[in-house]
Amino acid sequence: MSELDNIIHQPLRLRIMAALIVLEPADQMDFIFLRNLLKATDGNLGAHLAKLEGAGYVRIEKTFVAKKPRTFISVSDKGRDAFTQHIAALKLIIKTSKGL
Amino acid sequence: MDKLDGENAQDSLAVIEEIMKQTRKAIASSHANSLLILWGVIWVVNNTVLQFYPDYAHYISWGFVAVGMFGTFLIHHISHTEPWVRTFLSQKTSRRLGWFWILLFVYAFIWLKILAPFNGLQINAVFSTAAMFGYIVMGLWFGSYFMVWLGLAVTATTLTGFYFFPHYYCIWMAITGGGTILCTGLYIRLRWR
Repeated sequence: MSELDNIIHQPLRLRIMAALIVLEPADQMDFIFLRNLLKATDGNLGAHLAKLEGAGYVRIEKTFVAKKPRTFISVSDKGRDAFTQHIAALKLIIKTSKGL
Repeated sequence: MDKLDGENAQDSLAVIEEIMKQTRKAIASSHANSLLILWGVIWVVNNTVLQFYPDYAHYISWGFVAVGMFGTFLIHHISHTEPWVRTFLSQKTSRRLGWFWILLFVYAFIWLKILAPFNGLQINAVFSTAAMFGYIVMGLWFGSYFMVWLGLAVTATTLTGFYFFPHYYCIWMAITGGGTILCTGLYIRLRWR
């Protein structure tokens, strides 16, 4: 049975995963784009991304584009599976609460 | 973790859906709004000038098209060197898109040459509707329905101007055609980011 994921459940991490899951598996999202999208601060977003990276749910790549430092983030297969399981668990709770 | 009740779970799912929706819109609009603003301004200025200086239509229009193509190239260049989303399919897709637009206008140009002569109003209407046909195809291609609606709306205003206001056609197209494209670009820039 699907269970809620403690790491994903935290509000900002849930929103981070929801934003990243939209990408195709090989695609990466820019850190600043994600920060603006979620209206988060650099420090807060960085801390939660580090937590997700530690769990193996996201990959963070620091690189240079046109000689400027850029950070790109993508979801790992493990992260996709965990997010799918988390959603399934949420749906199950809703279903159970309605007595279905 | 605190035990989650049905209402909280519902809220979490709503948050996920909203963020996914916002992300898709933000990705879709990250450079599209700049292109729409650029071409909206070109439509407005080009058609306004054409209304008052129809004798120089040939030079005026080609001049504005050249400015638009250069601007489009510049925006695409920036979107590749400073991407918000790095996609490993983008170069292939961009090439296909580029070829689609080139072939669309070559096709329209060839038919205009074959069926010539045309007056300025007819040529303007052919290229305007061809451009909007391109918007509709791109909208269907990328699942972006606002592009489909924008293409249909401007096609409708083009035909309305062509049949009902031929003497004021260019200024009509500046306001309704260019204005619609420009306002759509501004709306996306202000609301979707």
